[in-house]
Amino acid sequence: MLKTLIFSKSISSKFTQLLNVNNAALQQVRTTFVLKRLYPVELHKKNEKPRKLRGKHYNYVMVEDSNTKKQPDVEVVLKQFVSGIGRKGEVVKLRPNYAYNHLLLTGLADYVTPENVEKYKPKLGEDNEEENHSSQFAQRTVNMLQNRVFAIVMNKEQPWVVEPWHIRASLRKCGYYIKSDSSIELPNEKITGPDMMKQNKEFYVTVTINGLEKARVKCRIHHWSTDPSDRLPYVYEHWLQSAEPIIPEDTPRAE
Amino acid sequence: MASATKQGAAMLRGFVRKTRFDTGLGAELPPAYRKFWKEWKEQQPAAVHYVPKEGMFERKEETGEVHPVQNVPLPLKSVDEENYGLWGGEAIIQGFTKKKLMSHRVPRFWVPTLKRSVVRSEILDEFFSVTVTERTIRLIFEYRGLDHYLLMSPACDLRSVLALKIKRRILQDIVKGIPAWQINPEKQKELMKEYRKYLDQYTAEEIDWYGLTWMEAINKRRNEINAENPTVPHKIIFRQKLIEQLREAGIKEVTGEMEDTKDTSWLKRLNPFAKKEF
Repeated sequence: MLKTLIFSKSISSKFTQLLNVNNAALQQVRTTFVLKRLYPVELHKKNEKPRKLRGKHYNYVMVEDSNTKKQPDVEVVLKQFVSGIGRKGEVVKLRPNYAYNHLLLTGLADYVTPENVEKYKPKLGEDNEEENHSSQFAQRTVNMLQNRVFAIVMNKEQPWVVEPWHIRASLRKCGYYIKSDSSIELPNEKITGPDMMKQNKEFYVTVTINGLEKARVKCRIHHWSTDPSDRLPYVYEHWLQSAEPIIPEDTPRAE
Repeated sequence: MASATKQGAAMLRGFVRKTRFDTGLGAELPPAYRKFWKEWKEQQPAAVHYVPKEGMFERKEETGEVHPVQNVPLPLKSVDEENYGLWGGEAIIQGFTKKKLMSHRVPRFWVPTLKRSVVRSEILDEFFSVTVTERTIRLIFEYRGLDHYLLMSPACDLRSVLALKIKRRILQDIVKGIPAWQINPEKQKELMKEYRKYLDQYTAEEIDWYGLTWMEAINKRRNEINAENPTVPHKIIFRQKLIEQLREAGIKEVTGEMEDTKDTSWLKRLNPFAKKEF
């Protein structure tokens, strides 16, 4: 309930912003080359035709080429949830080409008019449960986690059992910060070591984002020693090579 | 003096050159088409390639002299390619560049940057793959959709024949009640509510003549004239006249009794399967 309240508040603030903006259709749009005469045309008599142009009147000077300028962002209203962009009824500001090619032409969004904003605004009774998104960026995080291979670096000498904090530390090295261990779900079978049979073999853990979205993260065991002479040889781009699963039934999902 | 000239009193205001609407079938074109032509070819298009000066008068800074502000637009080149795309009022400009005061001027063409993209008409429920410029896409955004852009812009700003053709189809569809959305009556009603206001600018006849090129308009008028008084071959006219004269003379065969008489053609009497009489 709280979520929907915050959501509707942000919409209404954007809606009022929209009403304050002048009608853009009345403004002159100039996205092309703009020229100026080097020698201006001489004045002509009142209520008469302009003078006949002479050769010198065709000497032009470039004032501005707006094709080389950065175009300002445009606003569109979303017709439905778009992962990475926003929720239904939200007015979002985007780069013009992206908004036109990916959202307007595909029918995911519409032009911002007071009627459209009102039309796509989610109703009060309508709950977004069927969408099941904690935020517009959650899916992006899920995709990023699932498209990588994470090396779980474990000790080569001391005995260990893989625990959630191992996963958290390894993901942190790669730039993914998990706030609590409770959102990491390990496989049921315990993974123990050091065991060189498990070197570079993979297993899957489930990471829950915002308590809602679940990402299946691919992890590989890597043994590491504090003594440099004991360390395993470096493998170039090991994440591109295929690996066997530690748990036999944990075969990669066909996607 | 005026009576001595060929044009008579009309010459008093100077010699008036005949336009395309004064001779031939052009003179037969209705005022509806004349209005469209004026909007397309004679109206001053919006300043795209130059910055017009504001205000009525300006003062020279050096001398303090006051001069009227006169904006003379840059001449635009018309090419056939622009009729197959939506360039958003942009056009080719032919001119010269001159780098220094004493250097020679160098010919230069300024051509808009074109790209192929897709535009969507909501009323026609169709996608068009056309050559556009950045400005076109920008304008579509500013007007909130292709339909609004085409309907709100005068023909002189659209320039291209393709844009006018789409506009013509859109206008005709609004008159018909948007048949493209017949499957979804709710959406149809919504669109009608949104776009009905554009019909106030035109009469039914004006929509009928909107967006036609000169030759199309001439052919349309010619077909109309031909349909009004079709050319009948002389043989039919003369035959009817002859029958009329015969009827007046009181000849029986003409007054409907001809139909009852047997066909006298010798071909009909010929029967190859008949028994030989001799």
